[in-house]
Amino acid sequence: MILGLEFPPIQNLVEWPNWFGPEGSWYGFNKIAFINVVALVVTSLLFFIAGRSKSLVPKGAQNLVESSVDFIREGIVLETMGPEGIKYLPYLVSLFFFILITNIFEVIPFFHMPANARMAGPAVLALFTWAFYIAVGLKHQGPKYFINAVAPSGVPKALLPLVIPIEFLSTFIVRPFSLAVRLFANMLAGHILLVTFSVLCITLFTASLLAIVLPLSFAMLVGLTGFEIMVAFLQAYIFTILAAVYIGSSLHAEH
Amino acid sequence: MLALVRVLAEAAATDVQGATEEAAKNPILPTINEMFWAAVVFLLLWALMKYVLLPPITKVLAARADAIRGDLQAAEAAEAQRSTRLADYEAGLAGARAEAVGIIEQARSEGDAERRVQISAADAEVAALRSEAAAEIAAAKARARTELTSSIADIAVGAAEAVVQRPIDRAAQTALVEDYVRRSGSQN
Repeated sequence: MILGLEFPPIQNLVEWPNWFGPEGSWYGFNKIAFINVVALVVTSLLFFIAGRSKSLVPKGAQNLVESSVDFIREGIVLETMGPEGIKYLPYLVSLFFFILITNIFEVIPFFHMPANARMAGPAVLALFTWAFYIAVGLKHQGPKYFINAVAPSGVPKALLPLVIPIEFLSTFIVRPFSLAVRLFANMLAGHILLVTFSVLCITLFTASLLAIVLPLSFAMLVGLTGFEIMVAFLQAYIFTILAAVYIGSSLHAEH
Repeated sequence: MLALVRVLAEAAATDVQGATEEAAKNPILPTINEMFWAAVVFLLLWALMKYVLLPPITKVLAARADAIRGDLQAAEAAEAQRSTRLADYEAGLAGARAEAVGIIEQARSEGDAERRVQISAADAEVAALRSEAAAEIAAAKARARTELTSSIADIAVGAAEAVVQRPIDRAAQTALVEDYVRRSGSQN
């Protein structure tokens, strides 16, 4: 407690008890799992509503979904993989919408918790992406993919003992780890920031002498809320474009 | 000794249990149940996206792109057709202008020829009328002179008879007067 300000322990901010299933069980369903399910339902509903309208001039949900799909196709898939990457559009659209909606719950009233501020979601998505780009590499290059991935052509043979471990670490260890940690750390940091200013506002509201600082703290909270909406979108975009880059790099051997 | 070992073992067990609980409470580490639900939900979303949700969207996007492409091609075709029609129209217009100029020139030359013919005919007619008029005038003049000569002769003979108070030779006097009139007329 600092000057009457009692900040809750970090566990209280990110850990949620199970709604059903015993604590510690593999199937325990808690708030984070619920947010994941809501993300699935919201995405499905959006696409279902958008898919029903065949209007040549899109409006509402159709406009939102078509713009997003077009953005991912034109701005991510074609930019990083070219036309060859169009077949991976469903995976990347799923990634983008799943991350975006689970992130945006940070600013949704009564939730105020981004699911990706827990390591589980980012870790799963990073592992799927890791498996995905290895599978794509094996499909397009065969077993030589592993050799091509760690020993790019054109590297002098004398440097290979140095390059191979670095490339191995970079491609197969650091990539999934950085994908997961980047998303998780950003969302956790944003969540802690919002909680910090929320706690500050509540404390100042009850502290008569320091109430004069309340408007500043509240303005900061509002500003950070807008900032976190941008971060939610940005992290979804970064994760998706990096996944596309990794998948694209597996399509052909590096030269 | 045995008690000491038991105490150390209990202490070690307590440490291990504490460390395990601490690891389980570590907010950074992923929990198995959240990973399970995230995996299930994401795989479901991916499958739905691939087979159910995305195809209608991409179909509409492709249809719109096709429609736009078709409209552009139709616009280009219409533009080409317009250019062709404009060229045809301009060529036709130029032909019509040339034809009009030809017709005007032909009409002008025909008009000139006709005018010349008409003028020649008019000139001839005028000349004929003029010569006819001249003949008539000459005839009238001769007639008038004849009449005048006889009248003058009569008057002069009458006057001479009045002066001399006796009849004179009318035929000779008349011949003199007529000769005089003829000579004086030839002098004018």
